[in-house]
This record gives sequence, C-alpha cells and structure tokens, in this order.
Amino acid sequence: MKKLFNPIKDKSGEIIECLMSSPDMPTDEDLRFKLRLSIEETVENVVQYAYKDSIGWMEVETNLDEKGFLLTVTLKDAGKKFNPLEMPDPDVNLPLEEREIGGLGIFLCKQFMDEVEYHYEDGCNILTMKKNIAKQ
Amino acid sequence: MEVKIEKIEDKTMVVLNGRLDTTNADKFQQDIAPLMQGDAPNIEIDCTDMEYTSSQGLRLFLMLQKSVVARKGNLVMRNMKPNVKEVFDITGFSNIIRII
Repeated sequence: MKKLFNPIKDKSGEIIECLMSSPDMPTDEDLRFKLRLSIEETVENVVQYAYKDSIGWMEVETNLDEKGFLLTVTLKDAGKKFNPLEMPDPDVNLPLEEREIGGLGIFLCKQFMDEVEYHYEDGCNILTMKKNIAKQ
Repeated sequence: MEVKIEKIEDKTMVVLNGRLDTTNADKFQQDIAPLMQGDAPNIEIDCTDMEYTSSQGLRLFLMLQKSVVARKGNLVMRNMKPNVKEVFDITGFSNIIRII
C-alpha cells in the first residue's frame, strides 16, 4: 500500500488511519497498539516539524514480506533534513520535577518496533520501521 | 475520546473512554483544565476503558501531575489496560504517577 498526502497540514489523523487500515497490517490487538503508537509518533513528527506551516507532502507505504512475517512501514517527505533517531533518548529515571516530554515519542517508537532506520536521499527524509508480525 | 468528570465529596473522579491521541489531545487538555485549579486536589482517573495513549497524552498527564503535586494534592490512575500500562512503564511514568 502506498499513498501520497499533499499538503499534510492537519492530516495526522487521516494519515495514521490510512496506514492502520492497510491490508498489510496485522489483526492482533497488541501488535496494532504498538504499530499505531509508532506510526502516530513518527507521522506527527513530520506533520509538525518537517515543513514550514505543514505545507508539503508525505508519502506513506506499507509492505509485507512474502511469508507475511515482516512488516515495513515507510514515511517519506521533502521537508527539512532531520534525523529523529539522533535525538537523545529521554532519561526515564528522572524525578517528576525534572521530567520533560521531548523525545518520548521517538523513544517509544524505537522500543516498540524491531528496527527503525533513517536515510536522507535525493532531498527526502526516509524513515523505515520494521516489525516482525508473525504470531508469537 | 470521552472524558467524564464528576466530583464526589472531596474526590474528583475522571473516567476516560477511548483513544487519547494527536487528534484529540487539545480537546482533552481543555477537558482537564478544571483539574488544574484549586487547593489540594484529590483526583482519581479511571482508565478501565482508555484504549490508548501516545506521547501527546503522556505530556498532559505529566502536566497534570506536576500541577497536582505543586498544589499538594493527590493523583491516582486506576485500572490501566496492559498496553497502556506498558507505555507508562517504558517511559518511567509509572514512577512519577501513582498507578493502582
């Protein structure tokens, strides 16, 4: 499944639902929770920060390998060059008064997906997330 | 997501139902605005039917907890679904908000 959204302003919800309703997505509720969270955090990152005023495009894609085991979700945009994986992980052991929210979304994505990779290619940010969705 | 807020004697009961995500976090922030006022609040959030929260939701729970602690109040979240609890555990939020 592949789909282009342009412009992406105010489209987070629509983009997330598009990916979650892909035929490549598993039906298992626990997996769907983890995929939805990883997708929301990364999509939102692009919608909020990639383009000035969110005017720009994003292409989203899902793929399943032949065995139906490995799901790949890819997000592509032509916004400013930004590797979210370079953001430092939040210190989850800090006391309440020192806790801040920055970086939590990408941190959760990294915890819930098996593999997250970033490339910058031909002026585009490409984020690839992989998850083994074979029944445990 | 549906949010019900009810005051029972000195306790404020909040019942959440549905998914807390980027599409409704702003609305949720407005919904809980009344909880950000008053001395020594005693707040219990019933999470039985909260299906999901993203970092957008965590941001608001953190804001609420900071506000409650600053007013020498008490905030408890009750009966989280395992997936939601996992998000609180992984992010260390289980250590800064009381979950029963």
